[in-house]
Amino acid sequence: MKTFLVMLKRNIKMFFKDKGLFFTSMITPLILLVLYATFLSNVYKDSFMGVLDGFGVKVEESLMNGLVGGQLFSSLLAVSCVTVSFCSNMLMVQDKVTGARKDFLMGPLKKSTLALSYYTASAFSTLIICVLAMIACFVYIGIVGWYITVADVFLIMLDVFLLVMFGTALSSVINFFLSSQGHISAVGSIVSSCYGFICGAYMPLASFGDWLRNIVMFLPGTYGTSMLRNHTLNGVFEEMTSQLTKTHPEPMVDALIEGLRDSIDCNLYFFDTQVEIGTMYLIVSLSILALVAIYVILNVLRKKKD
Amino acid sequence: MKDVIQIKNLYKSYGDVKAVQDLSFKVKEGELFAFLGVNGAGKSTTISIMCSALQKDSGTVIINGNDIDKESDDIKRALGVVFQNSVLDKSLTVYDNLRSRAAVYGIHGNDFKTRLDELSELLDFKPLLKRTVGKLSGGQKRKIDVARALIHKPRILVLDEPTTGLDPQTRLTLWSVIENLRKTEKMTVFLTTHYMEEAADADFVVIIDSGKIVAEGTPLQLKNEYAGDSITIYGIDDATANSLGISYEKISGAHRFSVKNTAQATELITKYPHIFVDYEVVKGKMDSVFLTVTGKKLEGGDNK
Repeated sequence: MKTFLVMLKRNIKMFFKDKGLFFTSMITPLILLVLYATFLSNVYKDSFMGVLDGFGVKVEESLMNGLVGGQLFSSLLAVSCVTVSFCSNMLMVQDKVTGARKDFLMGPLKKSTLALSYYTASAFSTLIICVLAMIACFVYIGIVGWYITVADVFLIMLDVFLLVMFGTALSSVINFFLSSQGHISAVGSIVSSCYGFICGAYMPLASFGDWLRNIVMFLPGTYGTSMLRNHTLNGVFEEMTSQLTKTHPEPMVDALIEGLRDSIDCNLYFFDTQVEIGTMYLIVSLSILALVAIYVILNVLRKKKD
Repeated sequence: MKDVIQIKNLYKSYGDVKAVQDLSFKVKEGELFAFLGVNGAGKSTTISIMCSALQKDSGTVIINGNDIDKESDDIKRALGVVFQNSVLDKSLTVYDNLRSRAAVYGIHGNDFKTRLDELSELLDFKPLLKRTVGKLSGGQKRKIDVARALIHKPRILVLDEPTTGLDPQTRLTLWSVIENLRKTEKMTVFLTTHYMEEAADADFVVIIDSGKIVAEGTPLQLKNEYAGDSITIYGIDDATANSLGISYEKISGAHRFSVKNTAQATELITKYPHIFVDYEVVKGKMDSVFLTVTGKKLEGGDNK
């Protein structure tokens, strides 16, 4: 255990002292936050206004801002938890490049201890960055329109934690096969540019074609995005329901809210079956366990280089 | 003295490339053992196999009485390795580097502090403990590399071209530390180097080429067998030099003759005592040995 803790400390220090790795990790959430705040928020806002106008209803400005902000918040965190983990987990590849990994394993260090020290250090570093991003998002939502309940705040924290664990486990398995600086750059670029799309963060899955939507429903990250989206927007939808039922028939308001929830992936459908939020947690949790197990097994079974 | 390393019929191939072929040698306890070969000769492959970092194809490797196929963890504890390229974490301090290395061997708390004190005194790096490795000079980094390799008190120190790129003063310091360790702790040193003068100080030398041993013995045996002696005679003219009937080269104020061995030199001295008034006989160098047995010049060292 002591050895694990020392290796963990070493890996965390290595990440935070490597300015390149640290700033590359920070840049994804920062760019997304700026993009959303300056450009995408207006696009989403116009889109929501169009839907509401179709139903002939109007909502308060702050409620609309809360709706847009909640979607931005959930998208940003859903992407960051995974892309940041890929950056922070690059240490295990760098150690292969520098020979540090080979050096450690020339001593009587268990491969599983080294593997778990990389995983835990990467998860810790990613968590710190994502918690900072989460705080920035809370501040942003607080400014534009806060409707998040206390329970949802805690659930968002849980979602971030689980998504960081998931992102770190996924990056651990993928990075296991990488062994050069070129690999690091290639995987980093692919993940940064693609993950946001396939997890439904940049564009809601509802806007995908049927076949593509059905494919991405097999990816656990999709459920993570939906979990976050539910918890950032539940309060907004409750307030919207409460306001609109005063002036509009309840069935119409329910249909409007459900339509909105469908359109931004708060409701997810595995083929035609709606996936409950509890099931989403189960899928993400089991994926974490499975990926960590695969990662440790890969390390333990890894033969000495032929 | 017992054999602390025994390698027998070792084979290792990478596809069609035979990196190590039927390699067999022994290293005695406390010995300075030099393992020489050009780049690609199979030195690093052999070291990697000894350190359990590479799987052999066949053969036996016994280190400190432990078979590498059965007791690799014991072997790992018996070996300390200084690589040609430093594997220290450049962004961390010297202390952090040694702390994590000690943890690999399960050395914590007071045991670590005691060992750190011993090594910092031995290698004189106490003032460097809080400094970042990336900011140290080449020589300082090398000291920390050695300390890293010695943190768990290994029986055998493997030095893979440890002095390449170091200035002469640092090389001397490093060698004095290594010599001290050999004497005080009976440490066996397994050395690969590009500096022939370092190999000349070894107790036993193995030269490999294309994965096979091409020569082995003490430096003296190798010089006697593969490198001729040279005789330099001062203050004679060309006619006198020609009268000896062997080839020579003219150097400043003297003539240098190449002879097969010391016996031939003695024969000439006895036969022409009037010519050998002011002279010196010099044994062949390890560079000549290497060139003779491999047909290649060992690049590196000062030439690098």
